[in-house]
Amino acid sequence: MEKHTSIKFLILIGLLICACFLSLFYGGSETISFSDLSSNNFIFWHIRFPKTITAIIAGCTLAVSGLILQIIFRNPLAGPYVLGISSGASLMVAISILAGSTLHLFSDFFIGKTFIVLSAIAGSFLITFLILAVSKKVNSNIVLLLIGLMLSQICGAIQTALEYFSDANSLKSFVIWGMGSLANTTNFDLLIYLPTALVTLLIILFFIKPLNALLLGENYAQNVGINFNSSRFYLILISSVLTGLTTAFCGPIAFIGTAVPILSRMVFKSSKQHLHVASCLLIGSIILLLSDALANSAINNISLPINMITTFIGAPLVIYLMFKNKTW
Amino acid sequence: MDKKERILLKDTALGYKKNGQIIPVLKNVNLSFYEGDFIGIVGINGVGKSTLLKSLCGLLPVLQGEIFIDQYPVSAFLLNELAKKIAIVLTEKIGGFNLTAYDVVAAGQMPYTNSFNRLEKENINIIDQAIKACGISQHQHKLLNELSDGLFQKTIIAKALAQQTPIMLLDEPSAFLDYASKHDLFILLKKLADEERKCVLVSSHDLDLLLKYCSKLLVISNISTALISVSEAKTNKAFLEIGGGFI
Repeated sequence: MEKHTSIKFLILIGLLICACFLSLFYGGSETISFSDLSSNNFIFWHIRFPKTITAIIAGCTLAVSGLILQIIFRNPLAGPYVLGISSGASLMVAISILAGSTLHLFSDFFIGKTFIVLSAIAGSFLITFLILAVSKKVNSNIVLLLIGLMLSQICGAIQTALEYFSDANSLKSFVIWGMGSLANTTNFDLLIYLPTALVTLLIILFFIKPLNALLLGENYAQNVGINFNSSRFYLILISSVLTGLTTAFCGPIAFIGTAVPILSRMVFKSSKQHLHVASCLLIGSIILLLSDALANSAINNISLPINMITTFIGAPLVIYLMFKNKTW
Repeated sequence: MDKKERILLKDTALGYKKNGQIIPVLKNVNLSFYEGDFIGIVGINGVGKSTLLKSLCGLLPVLQGEIFIDQYPVSAFLLNELAKKIAIVLTEKIGGFNLTAYDVVAAGQMPYTNSFNRLEKENINIIDQAIKACGISQHQHKLLNELSDGLFQKTIIAKALAQQTPIMLLDEPSAFLDYASKHDLFILLKKLADEERKCVLVSSHDLDLLLKYCSKLLVISNISTALISVSEAKTNKAFLEIGGGFI
C-alpha cells in the first residue's frame, strides 16, 4: 500500500514537471526553445512565467477548495463552480470593479487589487453559507447541484445587468475575464496572489483531523472529539478564500474543483485526507497546466478559452458519476 | 462493594430544538448509572430513547437540570475529553469517500492522536483489538458501502470500542443483525460490562435479549421513566405494555 502511494506521487511529480515545461515553452502562439531563450526573454519572463505560475496556483486552490466542499457537504460532486460559489465571487468582483472605479480606488494598484480580492472572497463566503442553509432542507446530492446551478444563473443575470452600466473598455475586460483566463495575471499580481494562496493552503495542515472526522458526519465527528460547527466554519472560510482569490485573478474556472478531488480518489483508494490534499495540489496543477497548453496549441494562432477545455474534462466526469451513482 | 457512579441525571428535561423552538421529549428525569451496569433501554418508537442517548454524550442540549459524567456536568467537558468518556453507536448510515471499515474503527482513536491524526503503534494495536473483538477482521479493508447492514453495525461498534471509554451508548445496535449476531453482540456487551466494568446503555426492541443479558432495564413510557431490575420486568405494567402482551 505505502509503496504504491509513493510511486504514484513520484509519477504525479514527474507529470507536473513535464506540464510546467510544456506550459513554459509551448504554452502560447510562439514556441520558445532553450537556445533562443535570450531573444524571447520578455515573452518568457513577462507572459509565460506568470501564466505558468498562475495555472499552478489556480489548480491548487480550486482543487483543494473543491475537496473541502465535497467533504463539508458530503457530496462527491460538489465544487466551487457547480455550487455557484465561483459565480458569487464573480458577481462581487463585477460590483467591486464598478464601485471601485467610482470611488477611484484603482489609482493605487495594491489597494485596488486587495479590494477586488476581498470582495470575491466575501462573495464565495456568502454563497457557500446560502448553499449550506439550503442543503439542510434537501437530502439529495443532485438537487443540491441544481440549486447551485440556479444560484449561479441568478448571479450571472445580475452581472449581465451590471454590464449595461459599464463603459465599453471595462465591458470588454469584464467579458474576457468572465470567460476565465490564466493570461491576465501579471508578475505584480503574483505578488499578492502567490503568498496569499500559499499561506491559506498551509493553514489546511491544521485541519487534517477535522477533515477526516467530518467524513463520519456531524454526530460521529462530535463524538470523537471534533467541534463540528467551528471546524466547518473555518473550513468554509478557507475554501472561500481559495475560490475567491483565484476567481479575482482568473475569473470563474469551470469544473477543476469538482473533477480533481474525484480523480484524486480514483488514483488513491484512500480516505486519508492529508494524502488527498497533497494529490489535489499536484493533479490540480497538472490538469490546469495541460488544459492551458492545449487551449493554446490546439488551433494555430488562436488561444481557446480555458473553460472550454476544463469543461470537457470535468463535465463528463460528473455525468459519469451520476450514472454510476457511486459515492467516491 | 462501592460502585463508581458514571452518569447522573438530576431533574433533567431532554429534547431538541427545531426551527428555534424547544421540543421537550423527556421531563423530570432522575437517574444514576454505575460502572459495570448493563442497562437495556425499552420504549415504543418516538418515546425518547435516542434523545436520551444523544443528550448523554452532548449531541443534544440539556434543556433543564444537569447531566453529570463522572461528577462533572456534560457541558463543562472539552469535546476531546468527553470523547474519552463516552462512545456512541447511532442508527445513521455513513459511507463514501473511500471510507473502509478500518478507517471508521481508526476514527475511534482520534481523541488520542495528535493534530495530524497520526496513528502510532499503540493506537494501531487498540484498533486491531477492537476489530478482532467485533469479528470483522476479514472485512476490515472493505469499503463501508460494500458492507452488509450487519457488518456495518459491527464496524461502528468496533469504533466505539476503539474509543476506550468507560461509558458506551448504543442506539438499537441489534436492529439489522441476524439471530446469532444479535446474541454475539449482547454477549460481547455483557462481557465489557462485567469484566472491564464499563457502563453500557443499549436501546433495543429485542425485549427477550434485554431480559436475557442486561442487568437492569430502563423503561421509558409517556408517563414515566423508571429503572427496574430484570426480575421485576414480568410484573412491571409499563414494560408489559411495551411488550404488547407477547412477553
